Amino acid sequence: MSIRGEAAIVGIGETPTDRLGSKPGEPRKSTAEYLAWAAKLAMEDAGLAKKDFEGQGLAAIYTTSHSQPFWPEEVASILGLKPGVSLAGGNGGASSVSLLGHAAAAIAAGLCDLVLVIAAASPFGERGAHRGAPADTRDYEMPFGVMGPNCKISFVMSRYMHESGMTAEHFGKIAVTARYHASLNPNAYLRKPITIEDYKKSRLISDPIRLFDCVLPANGGKAYIMASAERAKTMRKPPVYLLGWGECNNASYGPRYRSNPLVTGISEAGRRAFAMAGVTHRDIGCLNLYDDYIPIVMLQIEDLGFCEKNDKAFFERTDFTFKGDLPIQTGGGMINCGQPSTTGGMLHVIETVRQLRGEAGQRQVPNVRFGVATGLGAVNYGKNFGCTAAAVLGNER
Amino acid sequence: MADENRAIKKPLPEMTPVNRPFWEGARAGRLVMQKCRDCGSWVFCPRPLCVECHSERLEWVPLSGRGKVFSFTVIREVVGRALRGFAPDIPYVTAWIDLEEGPRFCSNIVGCPIDKVTIGMGVEVVFEDTGEGVVLPKFRPGQAAA
Ligand SMILES: [Zn+2]
Repeated sequence: MSIRGEAAIVGIGETPTDRLGSKPGEPRKSTAEYLAWAAKLAMEDAGLAKKDFEGQGLAAIYTTSHSQPFWPEEVASILGLKPGVSLAGGNGGASSVSLLGHAAAAIAAGLCDLVLVIAAASPFGERGAHRGAPADTRDYEMPFGVMGPNCKISFVMSRYMHESGMTAEHFGKIAVTARYHASLNPNAYLRKPITIEDYKKSRLISDPIRLFDCVLPANGGKAYIMASAERAKTMRKPPVYLLGWGECNNASYGPRYRSNPLVTGISEAGRRAFAMAGVTHRDIGCLNLYDDYIPIVMLQIEDLGFCEKNDKAFFERTDFTFKGDLPIQTGGGMINCGQPSTTGGMLHVIETVRQLRGEAGQRQVPNVRFGVATGLGAVNYGKNFGCTAAAVLGNER
Repeated sequence: MADENRAIKKPLPEMTPVNRPFWEGARAGRLVMQKCRDCGSWVFCPRPLCVECHSERLEWVPLSGRGKVFSFTVIREVVGRALRGFAPDIPYVTAWIDLEEGPRFCSNIVGCPIDKVTIGMGVEVVFEDTGEGVVLPKFRPGQAAA
């Protein structure tokens, strides 16, 4: 049995994003408040209420600050729900795309008819992000002064530049495109358009990673609701079907002790998602790719098969804007909309739904029928991403 | 601020039954890594099982300490309180080093001006005593690995 077209997204909710608490003593909302707010918005969007979720599915995404073992139960308690199926997204930034498949599988198996997938975090003021770091990081990276993902992705970017010959111009083009889309998205946090020169002038954090390569930490909450295809037909908003899905964790290419960090698990997750959906690259109208860092967006475009590896010329000739050949990051991405810890990736699912519903306003991709969203989580020792997931969504079955 | 940072200790590895030989080796001035007796794979970071064949027959093998820089970064900002002890060292270089025998190891490049570090440059291990009971294997320019 395939989960292709068995379930659809019928509701989305997105709270405003803020950076309250980034200054000492500044009051901010709690994770619980963002959770409740996002859930309410998604239910309103779907035309559903709390009573509709009695005995249904609930999926909660762990955040860096709340990775306690009973997190799904705590979320159920915050929302006053009594789920018949409880799913937990423990794949970091890949969780929201990962859970699309897990929720659809639960629905297709008849375990429930609805799943509320919820993600929220209020990271500012919650200190000690390195507590509970995995052993490889704790023992073989931190003692050498590895500054978290900024530094680890710098290793990847530096090698990528070495092998592909790409320069700041190539990375800057992606950053400028994402910001242009953010300028057309009323929900984006950073909305002032930038130029390649602005990108090149942004300060080096960990060479070659610059400030404008890096995601923006933020507080916020997001949610989506999945329903069976049958039930989705009766909802107020047009269904957005999950047509293809793939997940690949602990991917390694080449010998494990010397893995090629320029290939991500998206190469496998994406291939499976395209195969399940039965679509070709030409069918895809928009890509919303997990963007903790600009070079990672580019590696995923390659790994999804839109071009060869290290294809510098492809990045030069392609128009990535919503009016162009291959629209990417159509809402501005996490880099401009903000990343509430590991829950940030849900932005890409929500933006893809907006595009497929025709609700993207000034940044609407014309005639879009299929879109791809991806998620990534955890940066392994000497590799790249520990968790990866890709989904093909469509506005027809 | 700088003085305050100097007072913050840098994180040190936690000794476990699985990784102890690595750190004891470093204290004795040797770089050692696990190798599987059954399938011949290198296993790093240290593991209780071979990640390729799940054999428990892992032996600790000394390495030459020679390698090449696979990739590197110049760290210019401290991120997070736990790592603030590195503030006085900034800017400094961390790198992925491909060791002659195969495994890739993450460490610092020392004894070399920052603007002279390149991908592909040859390096060799040096042992840096933290004074806290832990010796860290670091790398300086050296004979390029074969
Ligand atoms: Zn083995």
